[in-house]
Amino acid sequence: MYRYDEFDERFVRERVAQFRGQVERRLEGSLTEDEFKPLRLKNGLYLQLHAYMLRIAVPYGTLNSRQLRQLAHIAETYDKGYGHFTTRQNLQFNWPKLKDVPDILDLLADVEMHCIQTSGNCIRNVTADQFAGVAKDEVEDPRPTAELLRQWSSLHPEFVWLPRKFKIAVTGAEHDRAAIKVHDIGLKLKRNAAGEVGYEVIVGGGLGRTPMIGKVVRDFLPKEELLAYLEAIMRVYNSEGRRDNKYKARVKILVHETGEEEFRARVEEEYAKLDGPTINAPEEEVERIAAYFAPPAYEDLAEDSATLDGARASDPALDRFVEQNGFAHKQPGYIALTIALKEIGAVPGDMSADQMRAFADIAEKYSFDEFRVTHSQNLVLPHVKKDDLPAVYAALKEAGLASANAGLITDIIACPGLDYCALATAKSIPIAQDIAKTFADPDRQKAIGDLPIKISGCINACGHHHVGAIGILGLEKGGRENYQITIGGDATEHAALGERLGPGIDAGDVPGAIEAVVETYLAEKQGSESFIETVRRTGAEPFKAGFTAFIEARAAAQSEAAE
Amino acid sequence: MTVITKKGEIADAYVRADTLETAFEADGIPLIPASLVDEYVVAKPGTDFGLSVPGSMPIEDLVPYLAQASLIAIEFPGFSDGRGFSLARRVKREGFAGRLRASGPLIADQFTDALQCGFDEVELPETMTNRQPVQQWMEAKDTITDFYQSGYGEGLSILEKRRAARKGARP
Amino acid sequence: MAKEHRAGSKVRGDKLPAILMANHLLEGDVVFLADGGWTLDPSGAKIAHDAETAAAMEAEGKAAAAANAVVDPYLVPVDLTTTGLPVARHFRDAMRQKGPSVHPDMGKQAEYAPIR
Ligand code: HEM
Ligand code: SF4
Repeated sequence: MYRYDEFDERFVRERVAQFRGQVERRLEGSLTEDEFKPLRLKNGLYLQLHAYMLRIAVPYGTLNSRQLRQLAHIAETYDKGYGHFTTRQNLQFNWPKLKDVPDILDLLADVEMHCIQTSGNCIRNVTADQFAGVAKDEVEDPRPTAELLRQWSSLHPEFVWLPRKFKIAVTGAEHDRAAIKVHDIGLKLKRNAAGEVGYEVIVGGGLGRTPMIGKVVRDFLPKEELLAYLEAIMRVYNSEGRRDNKYKARVKILVHETGEEEFRARVEEEYAKLDGPTINAPEEEVERIAAYFAPPAYEDLAEDSATLDGARASDPALDRFVEQNGFAHKQPGYIALTIALKEIGAVPGDMSADQMRAFADIAEKYSFDEFRVTHSQNLVLPHVKKDDLPAVYAALKEAGLASANAGLITDIIACPGLDYCALATAKSIPIAQDIAKTFADPDRQKAIGDLPIKISGCINACGHHHVGAIGILGLEKGGRENYQITIGGDATEHAALGERLGPGIDAGDVPGAIEAVVETYLAEKQGSESFIETVRRTGAEPFKAGFTAFIEARAAAQSEAAE
Repeated sequence: MTVITKKGEIADAYVRADTLETAFEADGIPLIPASLVDEYVVAKPGTDFGLSVPGSMPIEDLVPYLAQASLIAIEFPGFSDGRGFSLARRVKREGFAGRLRASGPLIADQFTDALQCGFDEVELPETMTNRQPVQQWMEAKDTITDFYQSGYGEGLSILEKRRAARKGARP
Repeated sequence: MAKEHRAGSKVRGDKLPAILMANHLLEGDVVFLADGGWTLDPSGAKIAHDAETAAAMEAEGKAAAAANAVVDPYLVPVDLTTTGLPVARHFRDAMRQKGPSVHPDMGKQAEYAPIR
């Protein structure tokens, strides 16, 4: 894991002092609310429905136990004893007071953390594959790139007043777990024919109001040219991105309106004028960063563990957990585990301070003191010895963290929605809770298989509903909350946007409608097809028919009840 | 209007002129908009002037005047409109040797950004300096001492300093 | 996220009676304009029954925002309970009067008597 040096340390400390000063200047009136708002947002501080909300950066989703213990301490001292992991691998506190935020930032700096650029119209926290350094299909670990970008984008003098927010994701693997096609910039580490490592550069993806899949602007960018090339993209965007309409201000709209070819030409033209060597990171610096992400000191082990096999044979719950939440590790004898923050009926992504401490102990003892946050609002223990797995499972179970539902229909992503969010048009979390309860039976979940449901409480799409195999979007219609269901969305290398099944429905009807969709799948399914594979083959039609039948039956039942 | 450089407030040698007549009569160096510049250089060849341009102006349109104007004032319509920062970088890249001014309701918290992007000075409306006097600008510019980005500002970036430190440490 | 804007109440049609809601700048909590100041208690909100009172309350809210005491004050149309307490007509404003529905142990609902 990356560790701060004296420069990083001083930088975040000065940043805390700067924010402390900004709060003081706001209170005394030097800064108006309109001026202060973007400054506090660039420090992750929102004003929500009930209170402020502080979003803490978890760069590329990597944390250690010391950091998590500090987060637990902050949660108890300055919040209401819990935190919320988001789809951007960050952590949010929902109840901090403005007056306490500078102190919170100091506590974060104590453990090499910050809130820099977790909001605002600037380059946001860089995200990466949660199985970085673990996955077998990896060309190169994406984290050194992400760390370099974290540093490069922090308080960038030219690019902190962009037309709109800007999100970058990096993956080093064939299978895309970082959703790079729906980011403003997606970077994929790859090898060219000569065996050199570089990046495929994708620009202009995004969700929100106008969802779009990104376009490849450079098929292969030599690795050492990264920063200069990004500077060229950012300069074109900063200069030409629309500022007249915030809904058209993302780079995806610029790419769309100028056209892919022309946009590429402008970037290349700008790039040709840059003096690359003065911008790019020195090679020694790239190597220095990469050294922090060297593999941990694995033991030489056999691929299979008799201890684990024996324990699985005698404990069906453990067996199910490993099967569902385990992820193959490239190191023999090790496994990565997804910890689903998705107990049935819980708030997706929430973690109590007690759970944080328990989990910190587990990560410290069993996973080289490291864990990851995923964009599915889950956690990952990246390097667990298979021999240790029974003990890890027992400890997780004790902390209420052993839900064996990773990737299943109850592993739902939900944005905060109307329960917290000032922009929401409808509730989101209670919908997730209702669906999870409907499908609580583990055998039923298993029969349905992988089925990511994603829920957003408004068109901004923080819950990624466009790329959910089933997506749910909460809107307001005639003074009531109303939910639109889509299917067929996909955030992976097969990136696709979901298609709507029909008119919006009431909150109370959502679990029933999802059941109808699932029934259609089970009826249409061929062989071992997953939900998304079936949808890809059949198209949306049979699902629309099932959905329509459900609505008609509901309407009939209602009018009967009314008589 | 108040003009601030990294050393503090300075007297403004330039006088804004929106017509040719006022430019000719200006009590100081005229600061004229791009729409007047062609006529101005024909009427007063070889005389000193400043040029005021919007942050949205394409650099190609500005290049012909860079050798003639002694000052370019890039206008910021609002503090959160960052186009002027990118235009400043491009102006410097084209070799502009005069003074580069950021003009508009910027906030003190942006002073470092402006200096790093190549601006020499900031011209503020009184409404801003009433709330954020010069002293706040001087303090704001010194709150963060080092930067990660190479190629901005005068000193070495953090990345370059690390490399230098390593080189120095080597026997 | 640029303008994390907080729209005023989304209620259409008749805007009265109404209360005035805002957030406390330094704490962030939802506050309600009361007689002679602000209160954290949703039951303590002053109720405007006529347009003049509503306008005066709105002006008071703006002044408090200008004085850096509160942020985003706006009028919230309400219905009155049988005991005369205000219940926001829009579900979003009602959520602010109570606190998150998924956490009955947090927010106003945990600290103040429910509005009945
Ligand atoms: C609670 C306060 C939040 C507010 C006010 C908020 C606001 C917004 C807004 C305005 C957008 C639309 C931006 C655009 O497309 O131009 C957006 C998009 C997004 N937000 Fe949030 N958000 C919040 C919380 C979250 C949370 C909790 C998550 C993760 C669970 C999240 C992750 C995202 C993501 C992934 C997008 C996708 C849009 C894209 O990349 O195109 N946000 N949010
Ligand atoms: S999708 Fe909408 S409701 Fe959900 S968190 Fe984002 S802005 Fe809020």
